Amino acid sequence: MPPLEHILVVNAVLFAIGVMGVLTRRNAVLILLSVELMLNAVSLNMVAFAVYGQVDFGNITGVVFAFFIIVIAAAEVALALGIVVRTFRNRATANVDEVNLLKW
Amino acid sequence: MEDGVTATQVVFWILAVVMLISAIGVVTAGNIVYAALFFIASLAGVAGIYLILTVEFIALVQLLIYGSAVVILILFALMLTRARERPQALFGRSRPLGIAAALGLLAALIGGIVATTWTTPESTSAIEPVGLQAIGDAIFTLWIVPFIIVGVLLSIALDGAIMLASPDEDDN
Repeated sequence: MPPLEHILVVNAVLFAIGVMGVLTRRNAVLILLSVELMLNAVSLNMVAFAVYGQVDFGNITGVVFAFFIIVIAAAEVALALGIVVRTFRNRATANVDEVNLLKW
Repeated sequence: MEDGVTATQVVFWILAVVMLISAIGVVTAGNIVYAALFFIASLAGVAGIYLILTVEFIALVQLLIYGSAVVILILFALMLTRARERPQALFGRSRPLGIAAALGLLAALIGGIVATTWTTPESTSAIEPVGLQAIGDAIFTLWIVPFIIVGVLLSIALDGAIMLASPDEDDN
């Protein structure tokens, strides 16, 4: 298996790419994709810590957390896409910078 | 820790490079549908890395839930919002600022990773695979209450999504 540091660096790069997507994209669905990339990086990190730490710490809680993260991500995607579809019906756009009804 | 460059490490780096290039494709592609396809490739790379980390269960869950269910939902949302019919700028005005912020965050994260002394086993070959039975035991004994709660949460969220996306009675 690769050393823990290599996995952590790869996950850090994946997380930063996700942050870049959230900060640069306009389309709400693409922003959601970037958030999913960030969630993937975090759950991969949890699994890495659980696998490398089970000898010293004796449990695999991180793996269980990755499982929960995936389930909650599914719920989150369903809700967010419902909101996007509703927004598109009301405002005829899926771009977050055009949905500024609450902007003062 | 030094047990040479093994085949597993080579496969890990191939998967990691594929995953990261696809992820860059997700955030930079000029076509929304291409971004969604890059996303699938990136998810497959993550699933492969789960396999290398010996957690087949999470890899399967990743492919089943992310690789199929979430991707299909996203493709439906792209079609329902008619993303391809109206060509438009995909990036906001603050794009250089966003890239700079992401690079700064990356530098901070990698600096933290390098500066930390991690408590890991002496040799990575000493790590035992995480078996399906161990994961099942953990989920259905220690984490049974969160498991039930997350099931209820998923049901409520999916009902809420249907409520949100269904048309109002006075819409037409």
